[in-house]
Amino acid sequence: MAQVIVRRLLATIPVLLLVTAGVFTLLHLTPGDPIDAMMAESVDATVKETLRKELGLDRPIPVQYVAWMGRVLRGDLGRSIRNGEPVIENVGRRIRPSLQLALMAMTISLAIAFPVGIMSAVRHNRPVDRVGTTFALFGICMPNFLLALLLIFLFGVTLRWLPISGYTDPLEDPIAGLRSLVLPAVTLGLALAAVVTRTLRSSLLEALAEDYVRTARAKGLSEGRVVRGHVLKNALIPVVTVLGLQLGTLIGGAVITEYVFALPGVGRLVVDAVFARDYPLVQGVVLLIAVGFIVSNLLVDVLYGFIDPRIRY
Amino acid sequence: MAALALALAAPVLSPHDPLKQNLGNALARPGAAHWLGTDNVGRDVLSRVVWGTRISLVAGFVSVALALLSGCVLGLVAGYCGGRIDGLVMRAMDAVLSFPPLVLALALGAVLGAGLTGVLIALAVVYTPTFARLVRGQVLAITARDYVDAARALGAPGWRIAWRHVLPNATAPIVVQASLSVAFAILAEASLSFLGLGIQPPAASWGSMINAGRGYLQQAPWIVFGPGAALFVTVVGLNFVGDAVRDALDPRMREQRKGAPLPGRST
Repeated sequence: MAQVIVRRLLATIPVLLLVTAGVFTLLHLTPGDPIDAMMAESVDATVKETLRKELGLDRPIPVQYVAWMGRVLRGDLGRSIRNGEPVIENVGRRIRPSLQLALMAMTISLAIAFPVGIMSAVRHNRPVDRVGTTFALFGICMPNFLLALLLIFLFGVTLRWLPISGYTDPLEDPIAGLRSLVLPAVTLGLALAAVVTRTLRSSLLEALAEDYVRTARAKGLSEGRVVRGHVLKNALIPVVTVLGLQLGTLIGGAVITEYVFALPGVGRLVVDAVFARDYPLVQGVVLLIAVGFIVSNLLVDVLYGFIDPRIRY
Repeated sequence: MAALALALAAPVLSPHDPLKQNLGNALARPGAAHWLGTDNVGRDVLSRVVWGTRISLVAGFVSVALALLSGCVLGLVAGYCGGRIDGLVMRAMDAVLSFPPLVLALALGAVLGAGLTGVLIALAVVYTPTFARLVRGQVLAITARDYVDAARALGAPGWRIAWRHVLPNATAPIVVQASLSVAFAILAEASLSFLGLGIQPPAASWGSMINAGRGYLQQAPWIVFGPGAALFVTVVGLNFVGDAVRDALDPRMREQRKGAPLPGRST
């Protein structure tokens, strides 16, 4: 297993290098000079020149890239233009709400997807299956922000059961914290639940048609034991793949969800940085998100080996 | 089809000027004069939804067409040339895929500036790797066939073989992928416009209309629900079209429809 991890890590290096090059280029894609794009025309030319020198933008681009990479490897992702704080500190302050939101959304999605997916597959082509597939289609086609507004309208504005924006840390006040995260987590979790339901249903149907299932049934096992003991574990690989692939959707969804519900997470930080034209912050956060995404996919790959011992790289 | 008809006939079907403000009639409920009500500055929501169809479909189809074009070229070059060029192109595509799609579109939108052009380029970049990977895979499979060897033996140049023999035979999966991608591109455009990075007001775009309406959710929910319903119905419709195209072009699906069970597939 250690060999597998090392080999996968080595394969990631060229991709990581290209990702850093891409993120670095981002700053230079701005029409004209990034400093002109970040600051108003009225700002004094000497102030602009000082900032240009401070950010090293007066040097040739390859030199800038090497210097930037050197700083990135030492953990220095630059400083926000707005508050002057290091990017790492900005992200560190915002990471907790994002992780709590992602964890809760993932829990909600699995809590919905597993019973719905299993019922759909076991009761194939019956009304329960139709309800399950319709739910999956609804979840896949429903934009995050629209679902968020529908939930706000129903549970926040009409019924007044849950807060419609703001954040309380569940570790400080569990009840208020969970209440503040319920609507954002359902918004984010429902789309994921839809994709997982569809995949689980499809892979369960495939597994249910296998010979070993017929043998298990012939032995007189109940349908519940057949599904729990034989089918489910064999149907999990595609689900893990989809969960890995959906991480990007989860992060993208978190950007919108945090924006709608005014949660102070990393997603909201990206949107705020984009609007403030705080390019060093955009650059730093996007790089961190991409690296986090690559590492998560790596973990998913390694997880395959544990779920299915037949898989060897 | 309805969305396409609305987009094409927007000037005829739109009951009012989508940009005309009437502050005396702001936040009017849906009724005979304004079927979907009016927004916070008295503009007719239905007319804006009809005109918004145009922008959504243009964003969906044009961004996917651009991604299709660049993905086909990159995939053909990578698959046909092989070796270092293949490695370089595919690692670059892996790098693009390493970014969550919306975050990448957001970052590109930030540097390219808000507006339709920025959105089209950003979405084209996001969807290019999907097509490049698909085309490369097809090229690798097709170049191993006998008729490609025959064309080579006849002395046909590489570009001609790729253009005349490889690409036409790789069309079916590309069309399927393109038809499924349009729905997601429309959703992505709406998301960017919702965040304020897409189509800028006062132009009518479903995403920006929903964003503008969220401040009036209590007094005038129709501002959100009109464009929201249009977006949802269009995406569901395009998903059905995508599924139908896949069913028509994928031989495995054709077999299934005829009733012959496929080994290892029961859906």
